[in-house]
Amino acid sequence: MSQIEKLNDIIYTAQKNATWLAYRKAARIIRENFSSDTANLKASLTTAFLGSFTIDPLVDFVTVEAAACSIGLQAYTAPYGQVSQEILNPQSGLYAFSPDVTVLIAEADKLAKEPVAAADEIIALAQAFRQNTSGLLVVATFMMSPDWHLHLLPSERQLKLDKANQRLWETFRDDPRVQICDLDELAAYYGYANAISPEMMAMARIPFPEGFLALLAKKLISHLKVRTGLIRKCLVLDCDNTLWGGIIGEDGMNGIVLGPDWPGREFVDFQKAIFELYEQGVILAINSKNNEADVIQVLREHPHMILKEEHFASVCVNWNPKPDNMKKLADEINIGLDTMVFVDDNPAERELMCQMLPEVEVLELPANPALYAKTLRETNFFAKASLTEEDKKRGQMYAAQRQRNQLQESAATLEDYLKSLEMICSIRPAQEKDVKRAAQLTQRTNQFNLTTRRYTEENIRHMFESPEWNVYVLGLKDKFGDNGTVGLALVQKQGKQWRIDTFLMSCRIIGRQAEDALVDRICCDAISASAGGLEAEYIKTPKNALVMDFWDKMDFVKTDSDEITAHYHYDLENYAPKNFEYLKIE
Amino acid sequence: MTMHEKLEKIFRDAFGIEKLTDDMSIDTVEGWDSMAHVALIMALQKEFSISISPSDAIELIDIASIKAFLSQS
Repeated sequence: MSQIEKLNDIIYTAQKNATWLAYRKAARIIRENFSSDTANLKASLTTAFLGSFTIDPLVDFVTVEAAACSIGLQAYTAPYGQVSQEILNPQSGLYAFSPDVTVLIAEADKLAKEPVAAADEIIALAQAFRQNTSGLLVVATFMMSPDWHLHLLPSERQLKLDKANQRLWETFRDDPRVQICDLDELAAYYGYANAISPEMMAMARIPFPEGFLALLAKKLISHLKVRTGLIRKCLVLDCDNTLWGGIIGEDGMNGIVLGPDWPGREFVDFQKAIFELYEQGVILAINSKNNEADVIQVLREHPHMILKEEHFASVCVNWNPKPDNMKKLADEINIGLDTMVFVDDNPAERELMCQMLPEVEVLELPANPALYAKTLRETNFFAKASLTEEDKKRGQMYAAQRQRNQLQESAATLEDYLKSLEMICSIRPAQEKDVKRAAQLTQRTNQFNLTTRRYTEENIRHMFESPEWNVYVLGLKDKFGDNGTVGLALVQKQGKQWRIDTFLMSCRIIGRQAEDALVDRICCDAISASAGGLEAEYIKTPKNALVMDFWDKMDFVKTDSDEITAHYHYDLENYAPKNFEYLKIE
Repeated sequence: MTMHEKLEKIFRDAFGIEKLTDDMSIDTVEGWDSMAHVALIMALQKEFSISISPSDAIELIDIASIKAFLSQS
């Protein structure tokens, strides 16, 4: 057995037994053999666990479920019941461990006499945490399980817990350093009656039974995935018996099963769940074996389709093997296969995809379509911690891109095409409202990224507040819509020499002169500030070969280079500002 | 599966015990510590669909006692 097969076997055994005993053993083996196994795991994270109860079982469940998602976890478990001490003492084991992520789950009555005061205590602890470490804090809400569920009077305690949880949400909703793990919502989904085990609480101060521990572990994995960037971006769908019942090529528009009543309702429900993902910025695409005209007709004309043509970034309908189509879609949308999720009712197609393209995540659809929506809703492929304006508009932007591609195919020359786009480019200094998107661009952009330096929101904020830095954001509109903020440059003003620390563009606008405009703007600003030259770099990564000669093309002069890094200089003495024929600059 | 086989499987999966004998106990089985004991009690409750009180749980520290307890339940 290879190492990865061994690991999968260990995980499978634990999940099948579904007992803490089995998870405990699996976690030990993973810790000893795999926690820093970069060959078989995609990411590694240090994570600390603080609980007002015995949190050891949860640590074991999270360790195993993290490995199941290719995350190697090095865990620190705070001493029993030491939540406040660990956070308040700068010399504590918690801070010595310096965790990437810290999980805090405390019962309200362990923190304060009454729930709202307990919420305030957590807010105060988060404040102390911030001052002592730069990691992420994940705070659980308080569980509001009813005390007297057959009684008739409202429970004062529950009302207070509700208020306390609202206070946590209000405080941390937009906090980049603190994420809320809604334990209460998770327990409500699982069933309060089954989410607490009074027996184990009495015996060992373990509140959660094993089934709920496994679910809570998966929820925490969503936080870890956000932190490691292992979030999927694109949902790729089959058509027949996936988006609707029946086969369009045989049953025709009026024969396929899709509508407000049963049968047909189950497919509408599934489409609604998919549409909710679209609204959160997930890119949608189709990969199916049909006649293209049949599928397009359903997308355009079927009265009960929730998903319409304009929601799809790409539609790949033909009789080719689906893994081939998947690669084509990845190229066309300009994303990695490792950001895609494939959905197909046919187990043979799923198996083929798993074998040919293991980096694609494949959703195991149940045989009964009535369970499709539930199955999709139980995944965390697309879990996000926050939504930017770009996220909300992403679907539209990609659909507009599809129209642009069609126009490009029909335009006689590239110039005709660029002219017909009627582009308006805005380049401006970043403001507070751009921080989230700017940080996101540094974290997610891999191809058109000259230096691939990753920055947090705090880093970006620090830069634009500092007189030493210029932070430029670039937006691009055209006749098909607004692309949003798609370019970023971070420039450090070192006296007479300005240093371009970061220069990146979203792939969907490459080749439309926006990058030239951004360089021009930096040159003009530098000249106005009496700087004499610009310094720039290209740092090679496995993904940014696209821009290896970008500075050369911009007439920068290479001063020295090694295998990884090339340094460039640009003399501004005779610089003349450029005009852009196809681009209106705002 | 007989009760012995079910127990043996639990001990094999958790502690790598291939052949389970009645004289094995918390003192002789490697890895059977106090935390593992709680996990073991949870596993027994689940496998045999029973409820084990804390006072019983602290007595169930060798295979003979576990078997005696399970045959009464």
